[in-house]
Amino acid sequence: MRPLGAFWLAALLALPILALALLPPFGQRMVTLVGIYALMGLGYQLVFGQLGALNLAQGALFGVGAYAAALMAPMLGVLAVPVAILAAALPAAIVAGPILRLQSHYFALATLALASIVNLVAVHAEGLTGGANGISGFASSLPRRAVLLAVVWTCLVAGVLIYTQLFRGRLGHEARLLREAPLVAATLGIDGGRWRLAAFVVGGALAGLAGAFSAAISGVVSPDVTGFSVMVLCLTSVVIGGSRHPMGAVVGALLAVCLPEMLRDFQDAWLLVYAVATLVIVRWAPGGLAELIDRLRGLKSPVRHKPTVPERLLPVTGAQRLVLDNVVKRFGGVEALCGVSFVVGRGEIVGLIGANGSGKTTLLNVIGGLDRADGGTITLDDASLEHLPPHAIARKGLGRTFQTLMLEGDARSSDLARAVSTGAAFLLLDEPAAGAADRERAQLASLLRRLRDAGRGIVIVDHDIDLLTGVCDRMVCLDRGRVIAIGRPAEVRADPNVRASFLGVVEAAA
Amino acid sequence: MSGPVLEIGGLAVNAGEVVALLGGNGAGKTSLLEAILGFRPMPGPVMLFGQDVSAMTVEHRVALGVGYVPEGRRVFAGLTVRENLEASSMASAAERRRRVEQMLALFPMLGERPEARAWLLSGGQQQMLALARALMNRPRLLLMDEPTLGLAPLVVADLLHRLPQMAAGGMAVLLAEQRAGLALGAASRGVVLSRGRIVRTGSAAELAADQALADLMAGG
Amino acid sequence: MAYAAVALGFVLALNAAGAVNFAHGDLVVLGGAVAVVVGQSGGLAAPLLLPLVALALGAVGIVAARVAIQPLAGRPPEATFVATIALAAIIEHGLAVTQGAAPRTAPALAGSGSFDIAGFALGRQPLAIVVVGGTLVAGVWFLLERTQTGRRMRAVSSDRHMARAVGIPVSRYVALSLALAGALAGIAGLLLGHQFLVAPTQGAGYMLKAYIAVALGGWGSVPGALLGALGIGFFETFVSAGFGDAWASAALYVGVLVVLAFRPQGLFGEPVGRRA
Repeated sequence: MRPLGAFWLAALLALPILALALLPPFGQRMVTLVGIYALMGLGYQLVFGQLGALNLAQGALFGVGAYAAALMAPMLGVLAVPVAILAAALPAAIVAGPILRLQSHYFALATLALASIVNLVAVHAEGLTGGANGISGFASSLPRRAVLLAVVWTCLVAGVLIYTQLFRGRLGHEARLLREAPLVAATLGIDGGRWRLAAFVVGGALAGLAGAFSAAISGVVSPDVTGFSVMVLCLTSVVIGGSRHPMGAVVGALLAVCLPEMLRDFQDAWLLVYAVATLVIVRWAPGGLAELIDRLRGLKSPVRHKPTVPERLLPVTGAQRLVLDNVVKRFGGVEALCGVSFVVGRGEIVGLIGANGSGKTTLLNVIGGLDRADGGTITLDDASLEHLPPHAIARKGLGRTFQTLMLEGDARSSDLARAVSTGAAFLLLDEPAAGAADRERAQLASLLRRLRDAGRGIVIVDHDIDLLTGVCDRMVCLDRGRVIAIGRPAEVRADPNVRASFLGVVEAAA
Repeated sequence: MSGPVLEIGGLAVNAGEVVALLGGNGAGKTSLLEAILGFRPMPGPVMLFGQDVSAMTVEHRVALGVGYVPEGRRVFAGLTVRENLEASSMASAAERRRRVEQMLALFPMLGERPEARAWLLSGGQQQMLALARALMNRPRLLLMDEPTLGLAPLVVADLLHRLPQMAAGGMAVLLAEQRAGLALGAASRGVVLSRGRIVRTGSAAELAADQALADLMAGG
Repeated sequence: MAYAAVALGFVLALNAAGAVNFAHGDLVVLGGAVAVVVGQSGGLAAPLLLPLVALALGAVGIVAARVAIQPLAGRPPEATFVATIALAAIIEHGLAVTQGAAPRTAPALAGSGSFDIAGFALGRQPLAIVVVGGTLVAGVWFLLERTQTGRRMRAVSSDRHMARAVGIPVSRYVALSLALAGALAGIAGLLLGHQFLVAPTQGAGYMLKAYIAVALGGWGSVPGALLGALGIGFFETFVSAGFGDAWASAALYVGVLVVLAFRPQGLFGEPVGRRA
C-alpha cells in the first residue's frame, strides 16, 4: 500500500477542522456521520480489503456497539464507548476461531448467520433491547454535537494514520501474500490463522466504536442498526472508495452521506444509484474512487516490492540435518510415495529426479507440510515435522519454492528470493529453472552454489539434468514413489534402472 | 483434403500418421497441445486442416475435428460412462446414440459398465473413457497428453495398440509422452521438444535406437 | 416446496458460475413483484402468470450473468461477491423506488379457499404450490438427467476446461443455467408471494435460506440442495409451531453455525485435504 501523502492528509485533517470552524450544526452533523461510517469502513478494510475475506458480519457488530453504548451510557457516561468496543470485539474474538478456518463460501455464510442472529435478538429480546421500538433517552450521557465530531474524527484520523503506517511495510506484503497466494505465505512462516483472527477482532472493534458513536449522534437505537442494509452500505462504500486505499473508507463514507442529501427528493433512489455505482466500480475501476483520484493526480500505481537475494548471504543457524525415514503417502488407494528415505545435510545440494508421476512434487509437499504423510518420519535434527502445519515447519527453518508462479507479477527469482530471505537453513526448490533461458540457468547455478557455501542444505527438483549435474553433490532418483538410485550425479545418470525409468518399458508396445 | 492436418511452429502432422511428441517434464509438450487447441496463445499461426485457426475459440476448433485426451484423463466425474460419451457428442440424437453404442463395443472395459459413475472407475478405465470421449465426434486429429501415466502395463499395451489402427482409418494422432520407448513403439515418427523448441526429429526407428535420447528425456 | 425451487435455482447458478449469486433471493422477490404488477393490471388469468414470470426472470438471469458474473470470472472471488451483492441491492432498491416499500400480495394461483378431501380442508394455494413446485423439481430433474442439454450443463459444472475441449460452448451454457435459475427463482416468488407477500426487503432472507440449504446438503449437490431446502422447511414449521417464527429462525442460524464449526466442509462435503 502506498503512503498517505500530503494531499490526502490535508484532506483528512481539513474536513473536520473546516466543519468545526465554518459549518452550521446541520453540516457538522453530516461530517460526524462521515466519520462514523468511515470508522466502520476502516475496520472492514482490514478483513475484506487486506485479507480478501468475504465478511458479512460488520454491520451486525456495528449494531452491537450501538446497543451496548445505549444501554451503558446512563450508567457510565462516555465510558460506555470503550465498553461498546469490547462488546463488539468479544463476540468477534469468540466466534472468529471456528469461523476463520472455513473456506470462503462457508465463511460468508457463517458471518451472515451470525449477523442474522444479532438482528433477531435486537428485534425480539424486548427486555434487553426494547424490541422493535429500541432504546432512547441516553443521548445526554454521551458526547454530542461539536464535541462528538471532534472525538469521532480524532479516532478516525488516528486510525487511518496507524493503518497506513502498519500496512505500508511488511504487514502489507504479508496481507497480499495471504490474500493472493496462501500456500506461499505458509511456506514463509506467515500464520494465516493468527492474522485473520487479529484482523477480524480489530475490524469488529472499529465497527463497535462506530456503532457507539452512531448511537450518540442519533439518540435512539433500533433494530435497523443491526440490519443487513447497514452491512450492504458498509461494503458498497468501502468498494466505491477503494477497498485497499488508505482513504478508501473516508471517500466511500463521504459519498454515502452526501448522496442522499443531493438526491433528497428521490428517497430510495440514492441507494439505487449507489448500488449501480458499486457495480460499475467493480467492473471498471476496482481500485475505487480514491485510486481514480490518485491516477488523475498523476500518481503511478504503487511499485510492487520485488524481492531479491542479497549480495552477502548471511550464514544461517538452525538444524543440521533433514532426515526422511520411510516416508509413505497414499492418495485414495494409490501409493504415491512408498518408503522414501534419505538425508540432507547443511552445505550440500541434493538433486531429486524422476519421470512424470514419480512423486517428486508430492515428496516436497509432504516434507513442507502441505500434505500429511501416511507413514514414516521427517525430522529436522530432533524436531519431527510430520504433524506440523506448513507455517510452523517454515519457522523451523525450511523454505520452499513452487513449480507454478502463484502471485501475479512475480518472476521465478522472486519466489526463490523470498524463500532465501526467511533465513531458512534448508530449502526445497521445485523446478526453479523451468522456462529459464541459458543465461538465467547459469545465474541460478551460481546462486545455488553460493547458498550452499553459505551453509544452506538444498533439495532441488528439476528436469534439467545438465544443470543438476553441475550443481548437485548427490542425486536421488524416484520411480513410482520409490528411490531407485542415490549417489553422485554421474553414477545415477549411468544407472541402467534410471535410464529404463525414463524410457519406459520398451517391450510393452508392438 | 491434401496437405497436413496440423501445422504449428515447425511441426507438421499428416492424416493417417501417429507422431510421437517427446520431451521431459517441462519441455513444453502440454503447452504445445494447449496452443493447438486454443487454450493458450501461440506466437505464429496455427493451421488446422488447412485453415488458420489462430482467431478461433477452443470450442470452434474442436468442432472442426479435433479430439483431446488430456493429461490426468479429466473425465466428467459425476456423469456416468454413457453420459460422458453423450455429453461430448455434437451430433443429433439418433446418430449420437449409435455412436455411443459403437464406442461401448469398441472399448469392452467401458461396455461392461456403461451406467457406472465416472469417478468410480479405475485409472485404466478412466483413460479408456477419456479416449472414447475424444473419439465421439470422429476427429481428424487426436491429441493425447501422457496417456500412459499411472497405468498398468497391460492397459498401456491395449491403449497404444489401438493407435495405429485408428490412424489406418485416416485419423492423425499426436501423442505426447515422456516415456519415449513406449511412444515410439506406436508411432511412425517422432519429434523431440526441449524448453519449448523442437530439437530433434526422425523416424520412430531412428529415434528408438538413439542412446543419447535417455539423457535428453530426463534432461527436458 | 417453494423453498425447494429457490434452492434448486441457487445451486444450479452456483454450479454453473462457480460462485454464489447473492442476488438470487432478490430474483425471487422480483418474480413476486412481476406477478403483482401483471396481476393488478388485470386481464391475465392467474395460471398464465407462471410462464410469464418464468420468461421474464429467465431474461433477468441472463442479464445478471452477462453483467455481474461472467465478466468477473477471471478475478478473485471478492469481485463476484461484491458484484452480486450490488446487483441484489439494485433489484431491491429498484423495486422500492418503482413499487414502493409496502408489502403487496401476489395473486393466488388457484384462487383462495380450499378443497374438501376426505374430511380434510386442503388449501387451494398450498396445494397449487406443492403441485407447481413438484412439477418444477421433476422438470429440472428430467432436464438434467435425461436430456443432452442437461448432460452438457452437468459436464460444464464438472470441468469447464474439458467441456470446452469437447466442443461445448461453455459461455452459452453458463448463461442458460443462470436463466434457468432466474426462472425458478421467479416462479418461487410467484408461489410464495401470496402467503408471504412481496416486499423489496425480503431478498436477503430468501437468499440466506437457499445458501443454508446448499451448504447443509453438500456444496454443489443438486439433490443435496433439495433435501436441505425440504429439511429447512420442516425444521421451521416444526419449531415455529412450538416456539414461534423468531425462535425457528434463530435455531436455524445457530444450527448452521454449530454445523460449520464442527464440520468445516459442510454436512456432506469432502474432508478438506490441504492444511494450508
